[in-house]
Amino acid sequence: MNLILNKRDPIYLQVIQFLKQEIISDQLHPGQEMPSRRQLAQDLKINPNTVQRAYSEMEAEKLIYTEPNRPSKVTEDPILLKQLKSEWVNQAVKDFVNAIRTVDISIEEVTTMIQSEMNHTQLGG
Amino acid sequence: MLEVKDVHKKFGRKKVLNGVSFTAQKGDITCLLGINGVGKTTILNAIMNLTPIQKGSILIDEQPQSPDMYNRIAFIPDAAIMLPHMTIKEAMAFMQDYYDVWNEKRAKDLIRFFRLKTSDKIQDLSKGNQAKVSLLVGLALDVDYILMDEPFSGIDIFTREQISEVFSSHLIADRGVIITTHEISDIEHLIDKVVLLGDGVILKEFYAEEMREQEGLSVVDVMREVYNA
Repeated sequence: MNLILNKRDPIYLQVIQFLKQEIISDQLHPGQEMPSRRQLAQDLKINPNTVQRAYSEMEAEKLIYTEPNRPSKVTEDPILLKQLKSEWVNQAVKDFVNAIRTVDISIEEVTTMIQSEMNHTQLGG
Repeated sequence: MLEVKDVHKKFGRKKVLNGVSFTAQKGDITCLLGINGVGKTTILNAIMNLTPIQKGSILIDEQPQSPDMYNRIAFIPDAAIMLPHMTIKEAMAFMQDYYDVWNEKRAKDLIRFFRLKTSDKIQDLSKGNQAKVSLLVGLALDVDYILMDEPFSGIDIFTREQISEVFSSHLIADRGVIITTHEISDIEHLIDKVVLLGDGVILKEFYAEEMREQEGLSVVDVMREVYNA
């Protein structure tokens, strides 16, 4: 696991973003056990209290769930997973549109470029 | 909780601590931060009752200092080479005889964690490995609080990384850790609380994550503000 932290954003939020990405990309799949708090802290080289906070927030969002005396697991709720994915893509689209907003380019051109980039990425794996 | 309350300390006529107060919680890593000579080591010495204070008090889980507290706090001083003439193995055996609270299993875990060779003589080790042995000796004690004076000073970056990994590991468990340092950037994301020291006084005490969340400031940003650098 590799996470490059920035020093000004709360680390627990950076960890949540990271874990969401792992879930969306199926590195962590539905129902899979999450690493223990201590293990994740060590892998990411951060404070275990921070991981605790990230897990608590994700539990509140029901993205992970914990049965008594068992490791936390990734949600298997298809609606939540779908919602997570669309939120993620939405944010990426917003960031993208924001980044090109001052560039003089038509929506058709942009769509073509996105299409070609997606084909390219899929072909390249 | 470890409470330092209005501690005053003079060396001769020179005031070194001028009303220092802060707290350190069990389960937290608290960092005493300040340039050399602001009194960081003196605070640790005062907590350990190694130097008399003129005024103020120090409470450990609401109890005043007493001989019994040495079973609850370990102090890892800076640059002291412990038991130099012994091999690591001999030193471990010595510690086990000497301390009731020595945890042999954790000591072995730490030797593995730090990748030390037990047949090596301590005085022949590199500075980085000697620092690891000092940490090992402190961390292997079953105590509630661990004080570390400048655990990173004069140590190369790779050893620093290895040492800082201890802070996220089970080897610290839920104990209270106080470390002093003048160099924070490597360990910003590992610590809970920061206590900024100026000349013998506390300039600011805060939780690093709260500062990031509420003000969008890194620890170094806050230092820049406080020290006006």
